[in-house]
Parts: sequence; structure tokens; C-alpha cells
Amino acid sequence: MSELKKNSGSLLLLGVNHTTAPLDVRERLAIPVSRLADATRTLAHQPGVREALILSTCNRVELLTVQDDVVAAAVPPMGMLRFLHDYLNLPANEIEPHVYEFREREAIRHLFRVASSLDSMVVGEPQILGQVKESWTVAREVGAVKSTLDPLLQRAFSVAKKVRTETQIGSSTVSIASVAAELARKIFGSLSGKTVLIVGAGKMSDLAARHLIQQGATTLLVSNRTEARAEKIADSLRTPAITTGVIPFDQLHEQSHRADIVITSTGAGHVFTPAHARALLHRRRNRPIFFIDIAVPRDVAPEINNLEGCFVYDMDDLQQVAAQNQAVRSREAEAAESIVSREVERYGERLAQAPATEAIKQLLLDAETLRQQELARTAQRLSPQPLTPEQLAAIDALTKSLTAKLLHPQIAALREAANTPEPDE
Amino acid sequence: MSLLWLRVAALLYGIAALAVLPAALYSRPRWRHIAVPAALAGAFFHFVSIAETFYAAHRALPVDTHETLSMLGLLLAAAFLLLAARYRTMSFGIFLLPVAVLLTIVPAFRPGHETIAYPFVGTIWLFLHVALLLAAYAALFLSLIASLLYLIQERLLKQKRASQQPTWLPPLETTDQIALKSLLFGLPCMTAGLLIGSAIALQTIGPTFFADPKVLLSFAMWVAYMLMIFIRRHSGLRGRRAVYLSSFVFLVVLAVWAANQLSVVHRFKAP
Repeated sequence: MSELKKNSGSLLLLGVNHTTAPLDVRERLAIPVSRLADATRTLAHQPGVREALILSTCNRVELLTVQDDVVAAAVPPMGMLRFLHDYLNLPANEIEPHVYEFREREAIRHLFRVASSLDSMVVGEPQILGQVKESWTVAREVGAVKSTLDPLLQRAFSVAKKVRTETQIGSSTVSIASVAAELARKIFGSLSGKTVLIVGAGKMSDLAARHLIQQGATTLLVSNRTEARAEKIADSLRTPAITTGVIPFDQLHEQSHRADIVITSTGAGHVFTPAHARALLHRRRNRPIFFIDIAVPRDVAPEINNLEGCFVYDMDDLQQVAAQNQAVRSREAEAAESIVSREVERYGERLAQAPATEAIKQLLLDAETLRQQELARTAQRLSPQPLTPEQLAAIDALTKSLTAKLLHPQIAALREAANTPEPDE
Repeated sequence: MSLLWLRVAALLYGIAALAVLPAALYSRPRWRHIAVPAALAGAFFHFVSIAETFYAAHRALPVDTHETLSMLGLLLAAAFLLLAARYRTMSFGIFLLPVAVLLTIVPAFRPGHETIAYPFVGTIWLFLHVALLLAAYAALFLSLIASLLYLIQERLLKQKRASQQPTWLPPLETTDQIALKSLLFGLPCMTAGLLIGSAIALQTIGPTFFADPKVLLSFAMWVAYMLMIFIRRHSGLRGRRAVYLSSFVFLVVLAVWAANQLSVVHRFKAP
């Protein structure tokens, strides 16, 4: 794509991500949010760099720049490698094997794919768009994005939005914890004000509980054979917005009706039997209850799922849902790729037309100035016998029409020239 | 002119009923921007049509079956708009809007020729009697749909097949709330509607009115309605049994409606 080269430099993207670099390399390259502004400013001040943006997440570090043509022509791009060397104190040859490079149209495509979460480790995850926006905000604050990157990034955001609304790429969750939260939302709608009970101490149950809290659950109860351990978990999850409490293990069945969602991970066999569940439902006046059983062997008797108002999902069920959702996402990703390709083409065309549009604007402005001058001169010449308003309006319309007709071939030629590819393309 | 507005309303409801399908079933939010404005515009023209009819006839209530059905259609469209605004759900439109189309299209293209001749036709009381009972019927229909949606969502969640779990179904708690709230809204409407009707009947016809099959069935309907709310609130009845109960009461309502043909004192007559 030579559109950028015509007037505003070359677009160049350099980066590493989860597919090209191992975690230890990504760790060394990662730029914390607190240093992002400084890093972006430093990159933007590299020789030949006109505009710059840095995207640094746990899965990728990318440098997007607009460079002078001569500088950008260097292979590898020296300005950016120097930045990596100086700023991060990393030898260029150590990271070079992991670095990918995209130029011009491919850089635009990559940016659109990243913003649309098509290049993410978990395709369709929503966080990446927020991270790109954050990088853009920082770059704007330090004055590192201008006439080329600013509209490009805004376009990337609208492409990402389009992908989200026109495909179902983000409609299904794929991690066990988020699947559990998603199912809870299908039962309870908003989780705001809901109570979660953790039975047993485990990393997975802790993670699931945190996820449910993030989704709005406000009360957390913990029950464990070792009460001190339960206290410790409750303390670790307590925040000003979250109320926590401990249920003694021997009172579990008497008090579990307080919970809307029960996460069990004791592995001690059937902690909840159908009889327990019936009593629990009776106390809850048949309000639904959701059991997330991540224990092996299972804590919740599977027959409980047959009771009206009880929903039991064990580890296999959750994994099955996650796998099915992953398949849905893969299908939707294909549709999303088509949208991105279409948008890249469209953006390219817009860039190609930009110089012609500017020239046409200038041509029209000059013609209008000339017309106004001529009208004024004519009016002055006829001042002894001034024209009536109707006559003035007729002259105005006549000159406008003449100007438009005279300019039409030139405007058409400019537009055609913008759409014609250059011989080297 | 009122017929023209009614036809425009029927057309707009039709557009909304079609647009709601991709909006709800295929999670295409753009269609929501067609469904909601079309239903809103439809309700507006429907209201204009009804108001114009009443104004031209110097009365304030429907006097034939078709006009009554048309009013019920307007209430169902309003219920859809209310749910779309309050719960951001399009799902109910799949059921409510086609019924609204049907209830509007019949009077729009085949206006009724029946009439009633009561001395209270011009009064607000008879209007309130009809409007409140229609609101109660609409609320009951909504509650039945909500119970059905609850049942479908519950079954799908229990079957644990993610690929078959549609995204258009509202969460269980939401449908349960809608079912109960619409019943709680319908009860005072039905009670007040029946009381006003009884008071008018006592003044115009006398105690013999209460021996009429339609009137007796109406009171049976009220008892069934009360019983349903009591059971739902007392035992937290949900799911399959709630659908059975709602269906039973809905059948009673249909019987009350059909009893119009058997009634001697409470029926529309050919002019």
C-alpha cells in the first residue's frame, strides 16, 4: 500500500505475542501501565518516527509506528529495534527471532484483528479492546498519535464493535469459571445481591467464587471441615463491597438455603443428597439454586438435577459447555475475519482517496472565491442601476451552475486518478 | 379514517413481529432498532384509530367483538414495549406481537357489525369495566408466556447442552418476576373490572344478572385467578406446575370469552 507513503510516512508494526514468544521473553518485554506513557513518548522521539503507540498486555507487546519512508525501508527497522535495546535494555538479537513485522496494509489488518480479539489467545475475549483503547489514550495524552494513527485506531475500534455486534464471537464463554458465571446469569439474571457458598477449600472453587463476585455477587459464605481454613478464605475474599461469613461444616445443611449458588470441592462423596436438596428447596420456597460441583468424586448427587429448581453442573458438564462454546467461537471467527478483510479494503480505499479529496476541496474553494469576487465586481459595475434581488439570485444561480459544470471534468479526473493503482503496485 | 389508522397499525405490528425474530432468536441487535420503533408507531396509530372511533361515535368503549379484540391487541403491544424497555428483552415479542397482529388485522379488514345497547354506554364506568378486564386478560396471557419461557429455559439448563441453549431466552429469575408481576397487576384490574360491572348490572338489570352463565363463569375466573396467585406466592410455584396452573386459568378466561354466545344479558347483538 503506497497510500500512506504519499503524504504521511509508512506504517510499521513490530511485536511479539503468545504464539511467537515464550512467556519469559514476553515478561522481559512487557511495559507496565505506569511506564506506558514514558515508553510511548520515548518511542515517538526515536529518529524517523512520526507517530507511535505501544500495546503491552500479558500476551503481547506491539509497537505501532508511522515512520519516514527512508527509515522504514530499513530491514530490520532500526528505530524500533534501537528503542527496544535502549529502553528495555534488551539485546536486539535476543528478541529478534520472536518478533513479527507488518507493514502498511498488513499492519492495518493486524491492528484490526487484534482489536477485534481475533489474534487473542482466547479468541473473542473482550479485554483486548479495552487494552488497545488504553494504549491509544496514553499515546494521545503524550501527543504520540496524530493524523495517521488517530483515525486508524478509531477505525479499529469501530471494526471491533462491528465484529462484536455482527457475529457471536464473544457471546459464549470458554473458561470453566466464566462458564459457571454465565450459567449462573442464565438462572438468576443479574448476580447482584446473590449469595455464593463455597464448600471445601480449593483453588478452582476460589477462582469460580472470584468470578461470580466480579459478576456482581455480594455475599460470600464459606464452609470447610477446618474452620480456620474457611475463615482464611473468607478473609481473603472480603472487600468493602463483599460481605463474607463462615458456616460451620456441621451446620452446612441447615444453613445452605441462604445461598443461591453453591460451589463444592470437598471430594468427600455426596455431601448433598436429594433429601438434602428437597429440604433446602423447601426452606427457599422453591427459589432456584445452582450447584457447581468441581469435586472428584462428586459432592452433589447427580439426581438432584432432576428436582425442579435445582441445577447441578459438575466438572465434566462445565468442560463440555466450554468446549462447545469454543467451537461456536471458532465458527464465528471465520465470519469475523471476513468483516476485517472488508474493512481493511475499505480503509485502504479511503486512504487512497484522501489526497484527491483534499485537492477537490481546495479546487472548489478557489473557484468559489473567484466566483464571489466576480459577483462583487459585477455588482459594483452596475451600481448606478442596481439589480433587483430576483436578478441577483438569477446571476448567483447561473454562476454557480457554470462553475460546477466547468469543474466537473477536473474533479472526475482527480477521483479517477486516486482510484488508479500506481505502476509499481 | 380510523380504519386506515388501524390498518397502518396492523402493518407496523407485522413489521415488528418479523423484525423481532432475528433480534431475539439470532441475537442481531440491529433488528431491535426496527422492532421496537415499529411496535411503538403501531401502538400510536392503533391508539389514534381507537380514539377516533370513540370520538366519532360519541362513546368511550368498544361495542363489538372486533373493537374489543382490537383493544386487547393494543394492550399486548403495550406490554411488549413495556418489557422491552424495562427488561431489555425481545423474547416476549415473539409471542405477543403476532397475537397483536392477529387481533388488529381482523377488525382492520373486517369491522364488526354487532353492537350493545346499554344505558351506560357513554359513561366512564362501563369503559373502566371493559378496559380493566382486558388489562387483566392481557396480564394473564403475559404470565402464561412467561411461565412457558421459564419452562423452556429450565429444561435446556437441565439438559446441559450449551449448543442448544438459545441466547434469546431471558434468565429464569427474570421470567419468573414477569410472570408474577403481571399476575399481581392483573388481579386488581380483574377485581375492579368485575365489581364495576356488577354494580352497573345491578342498576340496569337487577339480581337476575348474576344467574347468567357468563357472569357466573366470570366470578369462577376471578376465584381461579386469586387461587393461582395465592399458590404461587405461598409455595413459590414455578416451572411445569406453574405452566399447568396458568394454562388452566387461561382456559377459564377463554371459556368466559366464549360464554358470550350463551349469555342472555351480557353479549354483543347484531343491530
